Amino acid sequence: MAVRIDRKTIEELIDGTIDFYKLKELLSNFKDKDRFQTYLSILQERVPWDDPILLPAGLHLYIVQKENGDRIVKCDCGHEFCDYRDNWKLHALVYVRDTEEKMNELYPKLLAPDPEWQVIREYYCPGCASQLEVEAVAPWYPVLKDFEPDIDTFYEDWLGLPLPLGKK
Amino acid sequence: MEKNSQILAIDAGGTMTDTFIIDDQGEFVVGKAQSTPYDESIGLINSAKDALSYWDTSVETEFPKLLAGVYSGTAMLNRLVQRRGRRVGLIVNKGMEDFHRMGRAIQAYLGYSYSDRLHINTHRYDPPLVPGELTRGVTERVDLFGNVVIPLYEHEVEPAVRELLEMDVQAIVISLLHSYRYPAHERKVRDIAREMIKKSGKDIPVFASVDYYPVRKESHRTNTTIIEAYAADPSRETLKKINQRISEKGASFDLRVMASHGGTISIEANELARTLVSGPIGGVVGAKYLGELLGIPNIACSDIGGTSFDIALITQGDLSINPSPDMARLVLSLPLVAMDTVGAGAGSYVRVDPNYKSITLGPDSAGYRVGVCYPEGGVDTVTVSDCHVVLGLINPDNFLGGEVKLYPERAYKAVKEQIADPLGLSVEDAAYGVIDLLESQLRNYLESMILGKGYSPSQYVCFSYGGGGPLHTAGYTKGLGFDKVMVPAWAAGFSAFGCAAADFEYRYDKTLDINVDDGAADEIKLAAGKELLAAWEELKEKVGNEFVKNHFAMDDVDFRLYFRMQYQGQLNDLEIEAPIKDFQGVKDWDALIEAFEEVYTRVYAKAARSPELGYSITGAIVRGLVDVVKPKIPKEALSGEEPPKEAYLGKRKVYWKGEWTEVDIWEMEKLKAGNRIRAFSIIESPATTYVVPPGFETVLDEHRIFHLIEVD
Repeated sequence: MAVRIDRKTIEELIDGTIDFYKLKELLSNFKDKDRFQTYLSILQERVPWDDPILLPAGLHLYIVQKENGDRIVKCDCGHEFCDYRDNWKLHALVYVRDTEEKMNELYPKLLAPDPEWQVIREYYCPGCASQLEVEAVAPWYPVLKDFEPDIDTFYEDWLGLPLPLGKK
Repeated sequence: MEKNSQILAIDAGGTMTDTFIIDDQGEFVVGKAQSTPYDESIGLINSAKDALSYWDTSVETEFPKLLAGVYSGTAMLNRLVQRRGRRVGLIVNKGMEDFHRMGRAIQAYLGYSYSDRLHINTHRYDPPLVPGELTRGVTERVDLFGNVVIPLYEHEVEPAVRELLEMDVQAIVISLLHSYRYPAHERKVRDIAREMIKKSGKDIPVFASVDYYPVRKESHRTNTTIIEAYAADPSRETLKKINQRISEKGASFDLRVMASHGGTISIEANELARTLVSGPIGGVVGAKYLGELLGIPNIACSDIGGTSFDIALITQGDLSINPSPDMARLVLSLPLVAMDTVGAGAGSYVRVDPNYKSITLGPDSAGYRVGVCYPEGGVDTVTVSDCHVVLGLINPDNFLGGEVKLYPERAYKAVKEQIADPLGLSVEDAAYGVIDLLESQLRNYLESMILGKGYSPSQYVCFSYGGGGPLHTAGYTKGLGFDKVMVPAWAAGFSAFGCAAADFEYRYDKTLDINVDDGAADEIKLAAGKELLAAWEELKEKVGNEFVKNHFAMDDVDFRLYFRMQYQGQLNDLEIEAPIKDFQGVKDWDALIEAFEEVYTRVYAKAARSPELGYSITGAIVRGLVDVVKPKIPKEALSGEEPPKEAYLGKRKVYWKGEWTEVDIWEMEKLKAGNRIRAFSIIESPATTYVVPPGFETVLDEHRIFHLIEVD
């Protein structure tokens, strides 16, 4: 039987303020059955909109269900990106550090990567300008999707939970 | 009847202080009292009073009769784990200031379960004993052969020491690379530091690693020397106070402390850090002593306590020693009695893996809080003890002599909700399954440990002790084919017995790197022997000086010389008692080689010997012993096989292999030597429960040791 974890602990986990020994206990134990629901309900409580969250999709980002049944990627500011099967990065603002000068804003001189070999791509939300993701990749590297979840299987077979109702 | 107390053994734990007092007949009493961390002597005296009350006598009457006293406690370990030690400054090589906190890249997961070792997210470094801001570097470099590559920059020492003094350190530790091969630099830094401390008018100790642990591996050596300054030296004050309080009560002996190498040392000992861990060693030392008295050279020691199952092997009368163990999540250079531990004891938590529906045991445990059946413990996860209660193996009204009342209905409910229902089993079958799983895990573990060391169970006598040992002895020894299986009637107090039986013994180690090729010329062998002899002489003086502090003369000391040897280029060395007392010629070298190859053959195989690789001596060890009083073991006349009627306590129902069975219950203390108890029986004493299940019987011998015999 897993240790019962209270809501406050999960909030600390999300905020990153959790004490290490508590975190270690969480990591080393089995998950309690309703962990995901608690987690999701905390996220839901913290966003200013009502579309039900299906999955977190990164810092500030969520896959939510719209009333018409569409599943889209949405920022916590409310900006809506695209269908969850599409790549939200292609709908974000991108800043690419591809010169020595831009690199040196972050790194001490001579300690940055050579931009001919590696660039830094920063993705920002067009709604609130939050930094959503940073990737350090070779200059020619395609803009890849982080993950493409099988939401139905996850809910039905893994969690054993009903999906929020949509009109799909 | 008037008692004649002889030996006092003290185990000062975090919550309880146990005392164990033995008289000249081998009889003993065990006392318990709340520990008093602010002044340990109070708890100790209370505990001794409690013990002696069973003999209707007092501390004032019995303490003057005592001939020896041995202490073991957890105060130093707690000081270390809770990082409540002294503010220590550290001086290392310039450029190497961070190695201490890097913990050899393994301290992040030491003490973790195997699954967490693989689960990197759980890894974390504890705060270092000495933080970076109290660490200073000085320039010097000695290579691994002991050559000076860069001389010591003496002008850098003074500012380093001054800055540490300005930051109000309470002790300074010096640890330089390869100092065990070339101690002069460390000692020079030490002397400069002492001089400066004197000038500043302060009084703080300086510890050079080479004066304490002249051995390879700088993380281990540095940690251990820091512990000496950080936790051990402050603990010396506590021990002195206890010693003083005991002598105020009329005791005339010098208190000794149980040390990790399996001997006891004085509270004045130079290297006190090795008294850090002593609890589980007690039992192994007791088993060795019992083996010596009974003429048993090979013993597999097995100990089940509340939190773990500990196994150690005694082979040809010798304990094996691990020269660089880890304790409290730190790598150390202390000789520690080699023990294998698995986190499965009577208090281990039992859970059902929600994903795979399998039962998991431990590794965490409720320890002294027993389980759900003990409401005061505040535990809500099922433990192994709860399963014992459900099955009827433990008497809930006579646990720890009735001091701890257990509630079977609570255990039943918890096992049902947490184990039985999720698995679709009856409560009894679930509890039985847990015990069965535990015993087969222990059995596999015990067997693999003996086979893995190149031996076979049939060469060993298995000793089973600890509060939880005898409950499972039959289960975990079944079918392994041990020569004999023995359960001392004083199983629960066996650790304390072992402490009381330990030698007064110092052991000092020194790293050497002496390489001699196969068929080397005589002068090379002679030079090698001379270097080994010089190391032995140095260590003998160190050991002898320790005994002088307790007013023994050098002549009183029985010195035993050891060396560590391996084939050149192999990774593992072996520790071997030297067949010579002095080194005079080439034939002495040949004797060393012969002794090494004999042990090598025993541990590995004759065909694996590789003399063509040549030989390396990797270390010298000296052990020095003096005679001390040891406990007698009980001896009584044999009576018949039929146990006396007054030992019979009646019947109890026990669930065993799918059905409730009527089991005979016996009172351990009332059984007589020579009695034979047949299955299915449970033999109870206040501190332990001994189960004789179907397929077994047991005989109590004249020393009050039960022999468990498989009859099927």
